[in-house]
Amino acid sequence: MTRQSEIEKERMQEMFDNLGADKYPLKEYKSIGKKLPRKLDGPPKASGEAVYTMDIQLPGMLYMRFLTSPYPHAKILKMDTSKAEKLPGVRYVLRYDDPELPEAANIGQMAGFFGTDKPLPGVAHFEGELVGAAVAADTEAIAEEALSLIEVDWEERPFNLDVEKAAEPDAPLSYPERYADANHWNKGVIDTLIKGDVKKGFAEADKIVEFRIVRRIHTGMGPERQCGVFKWNGDCPEVWIKQQRAHLPKYQISSWYGGVPMDKIQLHMPYQGGSFGGWTCVESLMGPHYCAGLVAKRTRRPVKYILNRREDFNVGSMDAGTYLIKVGFKNDGTITAVDGLLYNLNAYMPIFFPALHINENTRVPNMNSQVKAVWVNKCETVPTRCELLPPCLSFTLIMDHVAAELGMDPTEVALKNDGAEQHDMAWLNEEKKKRGFEVRDSLKECIDKGKAAFKWDESWHKAGTRKLPNGRMHGVGFTWTQEWGDSLGSGEVAIRIERKDGTATILAMGCDQGVNAEESYCQIVADELGFRLEDVHYNQQVDPGFYRMTPGSSTNMSINGWAVRHAARIVKQRILEAVTSPTSVTQRGSFQPMFPDTRPEDLDIQNSLIFLKADPSVQMPVSDVPKRGSLAGVMSEAEAFGVRNSWVQPLFADAYHVQHGGVNPNNPRPHLCRQAHFMEVEVDTDTGEVFVTRIVNVNDVGKAINPMSCWGQQYGGSIMGVSRGQFEEMIYDPVTGVMLNGNLLDYKIATIKDIGPIRTILVETGMGYGPYGLVGIGEDIATVVPGLLAPAVYNAIGVWIEDFPITPDKVLKALGKI
Amino acid sequence: MKEFKHFNAYSVDEAVALMGRYGERAAVIAGGTDILGKMKDSILPAYPEALINIKTIQGLSDIKESGGMLNIGALALLADIAANPVIKSKYTALAQAAGRTASPHLRNMGTIGGNICQDIRCWYYRNQNNRFSCLRKKGGRCYAIKGDNRYHSIFGGSVSGGCFAVHPSDTAPALVALDAKIVTSSRTIEAEKFFEVKPVKTTVLKADEIVTGIQVPEPPAGSSSAFLKFALRRSIDFPIVNCAVMVTLKDGKVSAARICLNAVHVIPYRAVKAEQVITGRVIDEAAAEEAGAAAVAEAKPLEHNKYMVAIARTLVKRALLACAGK
Amino acid sequence: MSKEIKNFVCPYCGESHDTQDGLKSHVFKSHKGRGLPAAEGRIRLFINKAEHTFLVEPNWTLYYLIHDILGLTGSKQFCDRGACGSCTMIVDGKPVLSCMMLAIECDGKTVETVEGIAADGHPLIEAYVNNHAMQCGYCTPGFVVASKALLDRNQYPSEEEVMAALSGNLCRCGTYPQHPIAVREAAEKMKTGGKK
Repeated sequence: MTRQSEIEKERMQEMFDNLGADKYPLKEYKSIGKKLPRKLDGPPKASGEAVYTMDIQLPGMLYMRFLTSPYPHAKILKMDTSKAEKLPGVRYVLRYDDPELPEAANIGQMAGFFGTDKPLPGVAHFEGELVGAAVAADTEAIAEEALSLIEVDWEERPFNLDVEKAAEPDAPLSYPERYADANHWNKGVIDTLIKGDVKKGFAEADKIVEFRIVRRIHTGMGPERQCGVFKWNGDCPEVWIKQQRAHLPKYQISSWYGGVPMDKIQLHMPYQGGSFGGWTCVESLMGPHYCAGLVAKRTRRPVKYILNRREDFNVGSMDAGTYLIKVGFKNDGTITAVDGLLYNLNAYMPIFFPALHINENTRVPNMNSQVKAVWVNKCETVPTRCELLPPCLSFTLIMDHVAAELGMDPTEVALKNDGAEQHDMAWLNEEKKKRGFEVRDSLKECIDKGKAAFKWDESWHKAGTRKLPNGRMHGVGFTWTQEWGDSLGSGEVAIRIERKDGTATILAMGCDQGVNAEESYCQIVADELGFRLEDVHYNQQVDPGFYRMTPGSSTNMSINGWAVRHAARIVKQRILEAVTSPTSVTQRGSFQPMFPDTRPEDLDIQNSLIFLKADPSVQMPVSDVPKRGSLAGVMSEAEAFGVRNSWVQPLFADAYHVQHGGVNPNNPRPHLCRQAHFMEVEVDTDTGEVFVTRIVNVNDVGKAINPMSCWGQQYGGSIMGVSRGQFEEMIYDPVTGVMLNGNLLDYKIATIKDIGPIRTILVETGMGYGPYGLVGIGEDIATVVPGLLAPAVYNAIGVWIEDFPITPDKVLKALGKI
Repeated sequence: MKEFKHFNAYSVDEAVALMGRYGERAAVIAGGTDILGKMKDSILPAYPEALINIKTIQGLSDIKESGGMLNIGALALLADIAANPVIKSKYTALAQAAGRTASPHLRNMGTIGGNICQDIRCWYYRNQNNRFSCLRKKGGRCYAIKGDNRYHSIFGGSVSGGCFAVHPSDTAPALVALDAKIVTSSRTIEAEKFFEVKPVKTTVLKADEIVTGIQVPEPPAGSSSAFLKFALRRSIDFPIVNCAVMVTLKDGKVSAARICLNAVHVIPYRAVKAEQVITGRVIDEAAAEEAGAAAVAEAKPLEHNKYMVAIARTLVKRALLACAGK
Repeated sequence: MSKEIKNFVCPYCGESHDTQDGLKSHVFKSHKGRGLPAAEGRIRLFINKAEHTFLVEPNWTLYYLIHDILGLTGSKQFCDRGACGSCTMIVDGKPVLSCMMLAIECDGKTVETVEGIAADGHPLIEAYVNNHAMQCGYCTPGFVVASKALLDRNQYPSEEEVMAALSGNLCRCGTYPQHPIAVREAAEKMKTGGKK
């Protein structure tokens, strides 16, 4: 076996063998774990130099805007675009019935996994849907004006706005083209999570409580609106896309327009102004690109399509719907049964059961959990920060209802029920041992740290009993769940040692949407190679042919982290082999190795210096290696003139990682790490105003690569979480189905004044399945915190409000004041 | 935005002349923070053919107190009004109202004239591309009645029948409470009489008339004023309910009271009954509570806005207590 | 393009003429002392200390002029309705929303954008980087500009004062807690002699 394939075998072994605690960790960390400023993306973003897709302007570029449906459910019977076409400055009007627009194209987020879709439909299924026509003009203003000149005869169809009503058998069909039988479409598809025997469980319970949660639809609201640029260089598409999945667009575009070879597609993924999943996950994501490409071909000009702010709303959050929950529990707080039914609005993946986290991180033995995916005439709903929004919302309400009914401290109820897959902590601890982890009680550590920081024992009280000097009611809430980071997916990266200066460049195309993962990869590579952090760079502005994990932000650390580490270990080996082997090997001979009579295992690298382990004074900077003896890096040309060169082969490696964890009920690896959150509120019982006065977040991330990036996800997630729980909903006119608040004044995201101080705490138990025992954090807090408002408000006023967002009118109603 | 003509007016006469020439086909632009939003969304059936810029008129942005009268030019910025020491100490409700309007950036752009002349925010009226051609656009009806009316009037519709959109200004109720007068290019009117609801109009201004200034009489000795605003967010938001109050105390009792709610009715709502209740009394918890209840006694809430009644009642009470230093 | 042939209309009295020369002599005769009307839409701006002249359409916002026409793409557009602060620029010393201002009304004004602030080496940039006061970065220029305007008028702002000054800037990623820290760090640096 060649040395090369030995290295590969080792790396593969590492990947397949490393299913529990990291068997091959580093002995010490230098960059990993450091609190680092944002030297990579910070300066361009703070100085205005960072360019986003929305900023792209090309000579001769046309601006494309789409017609949108004024009705929630309507078909175009006739469309007259002649006036629009005649408007000066309009260069093309693409119609939905254009012969070159296919019935089905590969434009969806799962690259056709859930079926293909029409790039420009003639039937709309929600008000504001892009439909019918796309206008390309010299300016955005002209394109807008042209849209208003298009005359359409619409066939209005009956529509649904409410999931429960739409699920009734006599409800009109919301989307007959896709779901011809009923609006509840997932009968027969996986839609239940059943464990144990709920009947028995309820019979055993001392108490049973039933409640109903309503989560109104909300949206990601990334600041940069959805947009893209399509340019043809001859028959080669060059595209700029705002979306998180670097690998998908080429794959999709290659199937368009009769087929485009992938090597002809040039992809740019500029900085992204917020994404949170969102548009990247919709089935129709690339439809506008398809249209832009077609028009760009016909007009021979680059085309930029833009959604305005109102249109950008139409990617809803997948926790929208109605939850019917029933919980049985004993007087000591142990839960015996959970029954949960979720009418999930427009869910395309109806597997995020209300009891999912009950299954995955508690010892509760009996559950019956079902999702009814119901289609109504609103936009698609997708993972917005996370697909676990429904289970997290239910989990918080379940746990806190039990605590409230018993008058028990919710942190104690949490510890009572901690476990996994219907097993208790004793079992889970065995699982930890089996997998080689140090046995730690993650939840207890999180709770202890959080309680101390929050001063929980002084703050918690019986519901509705503490009035503050300012007249408001004081309340505190607590919630917890697993840290989810054992995800599915794959990622591939490459690392190159630069000839000029021996620094390492990580090559992998992904998107930068703000989580600062790129810097963490540099930290990993620096420690793996033994380089100084400043000698490791990340280049994602070009397409190197390697693609980071989809969707580009989820599971950055737990999948791409592995891939980056694999590649670094191979590169390190190659460096050490290069300096211990003959250099400049040609037909005419070779030079002595840079470290003669030495084996690779005799050397190591620290601070970007290669040194002999037995005598560290024998050393050479890495920067010498690639250019040693070479004539400014030029290799063979000098040979022709009789000048002997000394050079090394390219120092480069690529690697990939595949992870088969899961968010499905048959998870082969239990989640070992936990998170806990504490919230304090003040409720003004005369106006209904709720104000979150402080929050403490505690997340067990296993191992924090850059704590400051982790904190950013904590306080950032808390702010998004409070905003979602307290202010955000997309509001529709009940009579016409038209969205009423499609703007940033009437759809409210929190300002700097709207939330009190947030304290962020990290716990590092090392019990993650990622490299060095890490587990991810980006999706967590924004997903868990919205629900936390309900128990906090309950603790303040003694009444449950479970209609999100929790606005003043609901508080006043709960208090009986209106 | 679509194309339009743009004129700079260099005097009030010029502005008036241009307005006369164009009538309803032109709009006045001061700070621009309202009109540009309307144009970007194309909310009206007819797009303005021209904008008449009045920021180029000199001498309309001064703030000066003399001879027992505070004179504020129509183009005075909200930020300047909020920061003005005289206004803060003697005309407190106005400083507070201006300081709570919108956001810091918008207060650097928005003028008091624009703030009281601003258009309604009803989300049917403001929906893009004139999606709802409602009563206020000379269309058929009010869509809020059967629709989502959580931010609409709790005191019934407009006089001409049927529009339930509220007046959204924060400074307007303060001016009413402070007994201000609005000076226009042709007359001077009591603030209270300045507001009127007609299609495409929220004020009594004629098509060729602009506001040139505000006159606020110096409050009598023993007076204090306060302004409170309720919104979902603590910045940027328009009010859900706001309340401005001015009381004059004599021997510890209220000798005069002016209480004005806004964002609760189609025009600023003078809570006359509340004023009657509090006059002659010491402002304490009980009296203020009673006044609050009286302020909303005639409320006729719609399906979704009952909560605004409770909030209005609370704000009246708290504004009175604030005046009393409690 | 789509414009009809315009008459040359006197901006002072509305009288219309067939030629620019005819209009000029009318103004000279009937409106003594008033400026000769420049070509409609010709404006002069001082952007980041450099003088620029533009010919603008009435419907161009200041944002559009600077971002799309001049190509200073640092300022961003989150809402385009004056509700988010991402397009903040400092005009004649005040932080304002460029998406809600008409370029044609900005003749003679001084404009500072995030690019100018960064080019001057303002300590805010480094303070923002050090304190992770950005994530996706789209709202960041608006915050930097609003913060710079604050420090111009208030050298040592308190935490409350920073929050008040930034209360019109929205951040979806939730970086709010870091801004008072970064701004006050920059203020401290300026106090001890860092570049302004």
